[in-house]
Amino acid sequence: MTELARTPLYAEHVKLGGKMVPFAGFEMPVQYPDGALQEYHFVRGGGAGLFDITHMGQVRVTGAEALAFLQYVTTNDVSLLADGQVQYSALLNDAGTFIDDITTYRISETEYYLCINASNRYKDVAHLQEMATDFDVIVVDESDATTLLALQGAAAQSVLQPLVAADLESIGYYRFAVTRIDGAAGIVSRTGYTGEDGFEIYIPNSAARPVWEKLLANGAKPIGLAARDMLRTEMGYALYGHEISDAVTPVEAKLMWITKLDKGEFIGSGAVMARKEAGPAKKLIALKLTERGIPREHYKVVCDGKVVGEVTSGMHSPAAGGVAIAYVEPAYAGRDDLAVDIRGKAVAAARTTTPFVPSRVRK
Amino acid sequence: MSIPADLKYTKEHEWVRIEGDIATLGISDHAQEALGDIVFVELPEVGRKLAAGEAFAVVESVKAVSDVYAPVGGEVIEVNSALENAPEQVNGEPYGNGWIAKVKMSGESVELMDEAAYATFLEE
Repeated sequence: MTELARTPLYAEHVKLGGKMVPFAGFEMPVQYPDGALQEYHFVRGGGAGLFDITHMGQVRVTGAEALAFLQYVTTNDVSLLADGQVQYSALLNDAGTFIDDITTYRISETEYYLCINASNRYKDVAHLQEMATDFDVIVVDESDATTLLALQGAAAQSVLQPLVAADLESIGYYRFAVTRIDGAAGIVSRTGYTGEDGFEIYIPNSAARPVWEKLLANGAKPIGLAARDMLRTEMGYALYGHEISDAVTPVEAKLMWITKLDKGEFIGSGAVMARKEAGPAKKLIALKLTERGIPREHYKVVCDGKVVGEVTSGMHSPAAGGVAIAYVEPAYAGRDDLAVDIRGKAVAAARTTTPFVPSRVRK
Repeated sequence: MSIPADLKYTKEHEWVRIEGDIATLGISDHAQEALGDIVFVELPEVGRKLAAGEAFAVVESVKAVSDVYAPVGGEVIEVNSALENAPEQVNGEPYGNGWIAKVKMSGESVELMDEAAYATFLEE
């Protein structure tokens, strides 16, 4: 068993009564004493929820061929990015299945910043560094030196602005500023994983504690992993290991909108093209239970008396009830008589669309 | 942590209140605290015959699904239907409005602890 890592804010979480659990190799707060439901309602209800997501990784890509390199290793069209713009994207392998989903930040034509999933960090970095040998680029893993906070909810901007040199109002959705946060050089982007307006804040570890404390003093409340997962699931946002993995391509994961086959060849593009022609091996659908129950990950989707799929993410949404994202056999994706097997009982589910509750990101 | 003296407790953290041949069942304050916010309770059918130790209800928190085991055997004569719309009562009043079911006892039971024994059990 490997030892769990701790973020620079570990002691703060413990001090606040955070219940620490193992997550992606880190000890992270799953909830604070108010509990996951109250934390969820605080973020949805107009507050500013503060998340320590330092477990996520950051990679800086610099060099004359940075754009060509990222065009080759990521799925989205990096040439569409202007300086200060963020793009949701993915890394695929030659089989066209996911190594990871990522965000790409364009700092300049020769400098980009990638945010990657904690659980995929070493795999991603090894892959990127291997691919980089054919390009004039340097790939640097900055994860260990970087603290990442998310501040999410309608009050996020007013809570964050006093600490940030840049004018947050001028940062649009999926845009960022390289700026100073409480005096420390970092990045602030209007991005997130909750469906609320808000920001993600990249700072050096030395600034973690003062920024954390000042945001709390300004009215933010700490939010744990449980509420974070509720918020993202309500939006239908994909999570690696759930909706996306090395077993599915963007065709199955409904992520062709970040997979630009017309930009030229990239890793996995041939396999994705073939999959697109052949049609998805399974279909990702959204379900809402029409009877009482909570659909959970790995529960089976049933129809015609047999298993036709599996829930990848499911929850009890305070606003929408029992909701689930599931992969089902393509032939059953359009059926209106699907059910989720909950402890041996087929609980009826209706097809619906994500987000399960309206998104309030600032577009 | 509340452990009322008039109840008996199980190692699985259920409580039982015995009045004549009727037993009222629920989960302990410790159990609800450990589970966190309870968002769903699956109640047994009235009329169901339970063996002592049998899983008879399910409580689901935001992140976890937990079986509730019958401290005593018997027939379910009443369930707390209010929990269908207000499962959070199990968190708020585990020994009061958070009760789960009432059973007409058959006479069998699992090993039950009194207040002092349960308090010691929790410490261990």
